Amino acid sequence: MIENRPWLRFFSHLILVVGVFLVALPVWVALVGSTQPEGSFNSGSIPMWFGDQGVQNWAHVLFAEAGSTLQIPVWHLLLNSLVMALGITLGKIAISIVSAYAIVFFRFPFRGVIFWIIFITLMLPVEVRIVPTYQVIANLDMLNSYSGLILPLIASATATFLFRQCFMSIPGELVEAARIDGAGPIRFFFDILLPMSRTNIAALFVIMFIYGWNQYLWPLIITTDDTYYTLVMSIKSMLSVPDGDIQWNYVMVTTLLAMLPPVAVVVGMQKLFVKGLVDAEK
Amino acid sequence: MTDLVLENIGKTYPNGYQAIPSIDLSIEEGEFIVLVGPSGCGKSTLLRMVAGLETITQGDLLIKGNRVNDKEPADRDIAMVFQNYALYPHMTVRANMEYGLKNRGVSKQERHNKVMDVAAMLGLDELLERRPGQLSGGQRQRVAMGRAMVRDPKVFLFDEPLSNLDAKLRVQMRVEIRQLQRKLATTTLYVTHDQVEAMTLADRLVVLNKGKAEQIGTPMELYDKPATTFVAEFIGSPSMNLLDGMLTERGIALSDRLALPMAHDYRGAIKWGIRPEHLQQSDAVNGDFSLQVQAVESLGAETLIHGVLEDGAEQPNPIVVRLSGPHLPDIGSRMWLTAPLQHWHLFDAITQQRL
Repeated sequence: MIENRPWLRFFSHLILVVGVFLVALPVWVALVGSTQPEGSFNSGSIPMWFGDQGVQNWAHVLFAEAGSTLQIPVWHLLLNSLVMALGITLGKIAISIVSAYAIVFFRFPFRGVIFWIIFITLMLPVEVRIVPTYQVIANLDMLNSYSGLILPLIASATATFLFRQCFMSIPGELVEAARIDGAGPIRFFFDILLPMSRTNIAALFVIMFIYGWNQYLWPLIITTDDTYYTLVMSIKSMLSVPDGDIQWNYVMVTTLLAMLPPVAVVVGMQKLFVKGLVDAEK
Repeated sequence: MTDLVLENIGKTYPNGYQAIPSIDLSIEEGEFIVLVGPSGCGKSTLLRMVAGLETITQGDLLIKGNRVNDKEPADRDIAMVFQNYALYPHMTVRANMEYGLKNRGVSKQERHNKVMDVAAMLGLDELLERRPGQLSGGQRQRVAMGRAMVRDPKVFLFDEPLSNLDAKLRVQMRVEIRQLQRKLATTTLYVTHDQVEAMTLADRLVVLNKGKAEQIGTPMELYDKPATTFVAEFIGSPSMNLLDGMLTERGIALSDRLALPMAHDYRGAIKWGIRPEHLQQSDAVNGDFSLQVQAVESLGAETLIHGVLEDGAEQPNPIVVRLSGPHLPDIGSRMWLTAPLQHWHLFDAITQQRL
């Protein structure tokens, strides 16, 4: 907007403020709740200001046990989630960059068909293929293992497609210059393609890390041993207490801990992320 | 010694389209050959075939006597400068220039020496640690040339390297390329659509039209004795005036009312040509024909006068005259011209070949 109309300004600011409030309020409640003594949520009102149990709550959850239903410290869950999320992210990037490389730069029979087959798998998210996938993983004896958590999720049509678009925007002359400079396919990939798609890799890393971190259904199904539980899925099990009260203060700590890594990734990589999406270089 | 030989080279695409029917060309060591022609004439295709970026479907390509048809571009001992420079955007100028040597397994010390030598020659010393994104167009052009030069190849290939530069820089780089090529004495194949570039750079020119070499020769040969009407119109700016006519006993009849006396054995339909700079202003008594002035372009040192031949023909015949110095004839006025006989060009109207 170039014109300066006070009412319009006021109105747009109002919408922004309301938006921020709506998003921030639950986070605030979680933060405040994580410092409350046990049972303060059960009194019927939601506390809106800090209690005095912050340090004890955080220390207990992180290093002792997450709650009465989950006798495992949250740092271990954090580690599991991190391994899974990083495994999925790196696997997705590695597989899709290689397949996009093959599809864009090599002429082989049924190239188009193969691309479309990959593309069609976009219609088959984890939830759709969950029963056969479970069968396969169970037969491979990978239940309750990191590889079981990671492997079924590392093929990505989206990432392949994004890399394909990125590679196709690389000028043909550059490829030819590399050929004249004596760079074979492997050299070209590592010396030229990989550094040139740096920002795209960063953008995909952010998206895929959050995707991997937030996985709920798949870890829930294949892990029965709580040493392989992930953070996101354990929050739910902390809420399903058979008798007695839900330990809301511990739940809030865990929730905040579950939120932190994706936030850290987004904040840390946002410059590269935006650059990768708008693609200023080249 | 011949350096680069194209024998009956041709290119037919898998879909049956014949881009280049057949070209023969042998290039001496150190010669500067310019391939020139309008867009789509196959000049870039031919260059890319020499580079090994396009397959050769017919004939033999010999570099220093070795048949290289089936060799990879990197093994042909050539270096190419691209129109868009094709510098690796993530590498510094130094890394860009070194990359080819690195892939060839040249030692670090030797690479360093070569890069420094070439950088000194091109004035790139200060820019070695910068990236292409931080360079101006002219500097990028220099880096692209440097990248080709460090390789010390047998043949340089240039694919319209100056077309992305502004006019002033283009003239400057043109001179520089010529000087460098003389100094290095490396055989060079240069593609351009700009006939001024072609004329100034070339030892010999190859004028291509629809994949065929219309004429091969020195710039002055092509200017003085164009073999076809295509070459006649392509070389020289503004291009040659070409008029339809009939050769008879009395001379060249350009229309019912206008004839130019000439003795020639040929009889029949011809095209009569004269360059704008060879027409001379004259008076009504001595003039060969008159022109009705339609537009005047004053360029200071010379004046281009566009007009229509006053020959009573139904179809107006446009004529361009190039006079040195300033002239300001009125639009619509009549101008008498003489066309000296020694500057006439005659072409067969059907075959378009020079008579």
